[in-house]
Amino acid sequence: MPIPLEELEQVVGRPFPGGSYTIEPYRHWLMTDAVGGPATSTGEASAMEVYYGALAGMGMTVDGLFALVGASAADGPMFGEAEIEQRRPLQIGATYRVSGAITSVQRKHGRRAGVFDIVEFRLELTDERGEHVATSTNSFIFPRRD
Amino acid sequence: MHVEPGTELPPLRIESVPAEAMKTVAALLHDPTPIHWDVESVRALGMGDRPVNQGPNNMAYVVNMLTTWAGSPGRIRRLRVRFLGNVFAGDSVTARGVVTGVREEDGERLADLDVWLERSAEDRVLDGTATVAIDA
Repeated sequence: MPIPLEELEQVVGRPFPGGSYTIEPYRHWLMTDAVGGPATSTGEASAMEVYYGALAGMGMTVDGLFALVGASAADGPMFGEAEIEQRRPLQIGATYRVSGAITSVQRKHGRRAGVFDIVEFRLELTDERGEHVATSTNSFIFPRRD
Repeated sequence: MHVEPGTELPPLRIESVPAEAMKTVAALLHDPTPIHWDVESVRALGMGDRPVNQGPNNMAYVVNMLTTWAGSPGRIRRLRVRFLGNVFAGDSVTARGVVTGVREEDGERLADLDVWLERSAEDRVLDGTATVAIDA
């Protein structure tokens, strides 16, 4: 049985543990290379680092996030939407603080898909001076098979 | 750079989405979802017999297109995408974008765009909107 909706709704607004994320030069090179971009290890970071940094620094694993909403990777969770906003370019080698929370949950009933939940969460990145430099807002879709 | 509504961005084409890159990304992102590297798990979910590309990889192709057009990563002010379908290892996909408006905000010239990633003109796997800073 899927997690009861009332239980799921209790995670909305609860802050993630949070943490920090450093854009390691070698890691930036490997990631940009893997997605076909110019592989770089100095200067401005790819805007995708907003997304990568938010997830890496939120203080729990992706598996942990799935468990929080009563799901696992084996359920075949899918991405719904993703949004990145940059107030300042992220810099390779810099460290950012990450904080955020689940912002909404919705239970849907699809004729073909059956029951599924859409879980949205928002994470903010602040630089070493405490300035909010970027935001990542994402949603996952969790199929709820019986 | 002359930019106006209707301006099309140079497309970015990925001839064949590589399965090996999915393994690299899974390791770097600590992504435990097995459909990105384990064909058996893809089959078990009835999703075919090729690894499924990570959604963020599909987003990254659009980011790469925008970055090349804008001139630097930091010029991307905002990007919002919907994931419409899966991309599989070996697929050919193309990132595209078209300017929908140009405006000034806080002394900065911004272009708003529709963006998408397609297998073909009739088969979009991701779409969304973006705002990019452009030269005055």
